[in-house]
Amino acid sequence: MDIAFAAETLVSLLSALPLTLELAITAIAFGAVLALALALARLSGILALDWFARLYVFVFRGTPLLVQIFLIYYGLSQFGAVRHSIFWPVLREPYWCAVLALMLNTAAYASEIIRGGLLSVPHGQVEAARACGMPRFMIFRRIVMPLAIRQALPGYGNEMISMVKATSLASIITLMEITGVAAKIISETYRVIEVFVVAGAIYLAINFLLTRLIAFVEYQLSPHQRQLLPMTGRLKGESH
Amino acid sequence: MNMSAQAAPSVAISVRDLHKSFGPVEVLKGISIDAHEGEVISILGSSGSGKSTLLRCINMLEVPDSGSIAVAGETIRLKAAGCGKSRPADQRQVDRIRSELGMVFQSFNLWSHKTVLENVIEAPVHVLKRPRREAIEEAEALLAKVGIADKRNHYPAHLSGGQQQRAAIARALAMRPKAMLFDEPTSALDPELVGEVLRVMRGLAEEGRTMLVVTHEMGFARDVSSRVVFLHRGAIEEEGAPDDVFTSSKSERFRQFISN
Repeated sequence: MDIAFAAETLVSLLSALPLTLELAITAIAFGAVLALALALARLSGILALDWFARLYVFVFRGTPLLVQIFLIYYGLSQFGAVRHSIFWPVLREPYWCAVLALMLNTAAYASEIIRGGLLSVPHGQVEAARACGMPRFMIFRRIVMPLAIRQALPGYGNEMISMVKATSLASIITLMEITGVAAKIISETYRVIEVFVVAGAIYLAINFLLTRLIAFVEYQLSPHQRQLLPMTGRLKGESH
Repeated sequence: MNMSAQAAPSVAISVRDLHKSFGPVEVLKGISIDAHEGEVISILGSSGSGKSTLLRCINMLEVPDSGSIAVAGETIRLKAAGCGKSRPADQRQVDRIRSELGMVFQSFNLWSHKTVLENVIEAPVHVLKRPRREAIEEAEALLAKVGIADKRNHYPAHLSGGQQQRAAIARALAMRPKAMLFDEPTSALDPELVGEVLRVMRGLAEEGRTMLVVTHEMGFARDVSSRVVFLHRGAIEEEGAPDDVFTSSKSERFRQFISN
């Protein structure tokens, strides 16, 4: 392995890091909003919404992300109606096609994670809030959501890590994010090992930071699930 | 309110001809109760007699099929929802009336992600829009009153059942309720923790608070309550002052119930 070449590659690949992060963050952020809407649709008790959400999750979870990216980037432009619609300035951009595909895909998975979180909220705590005279939205905001997020966070962390890695598929529709740049360097140098090892290491570093961030947020959000500090201190003192 | 000049205290909670079914099972078969201000009513009955459902209908956690509930003279408006069911006509009215009734649950139902103090100030600050500082002062006084002032920064999971239930009572009191509803407040507690909760409830009764208590604690019903209501299969089987009903009830079923 050529260290000097690897270092050079690292510099080139890092220049593509902002695009990778941008894709991941935009897709995860929009995806989260859509996922919450889908989860609420599933739990709404309104049959039409429920079935729409079920169908959505079935389709987007059951087909490959790569196929979805192809369909959105190459497929949508086949329709005159799309080309002449107000969405065309957005849909003809590979960046927005990639964001759209990633977002629609992550929303399907995340909606199930959020639904699980919402279902885990103990009914008694919701009832106590109702008994205090809290209106529905206030209960959702102050009681249900905080408890649901804590439950959903570990699962959601997995999904976010998947999304960071999935951004590499955007290279297939001409986006020069990390994997796109890596493929370009390989096509010029034929040095597969160095380039992909460095590319892989960058993804690993992103996900390491992401994992730490999720763990930190989880810690911050769960003081009630921690042991009392004096007690853990005493227990440790006794057992050693 | 216009009765206040007379000897009889005004009615805090009035229940009229309440009916409620769950599917084919008729749980309440026309119950009427008036709770006057300052009265402590113990609602007794074996499991399945409808006593918890009755209590939960008063603040609309269960919506009765028919009949009416009035709190401090204000009747909760219901409208027909088809299939013999009803639903509240005005959710805002229900929310407001709920904020005037303190409810204590069998399983405490404290909000697990909030400390004891946060639990107590949550509804006063967000529902009643009281200034936070004022709510905290009042909450600390209430926690001292129920004997857990030192636990105010603890999370519910770090408290014993008895402490959790006393925190839940403080949370209900923080709303300055017109009446308190207790739904088997000691049934989920270890026997040695029942006493501390009953002591707090006894203190509230002595303050002259209006209380409806669904309970299996015969000692509390006999010594503390001003009236005992015994439900059997969704109907009032026996009702009266504890001294009368516990010594000379005409109801065979009630005599059997208290002898167990």
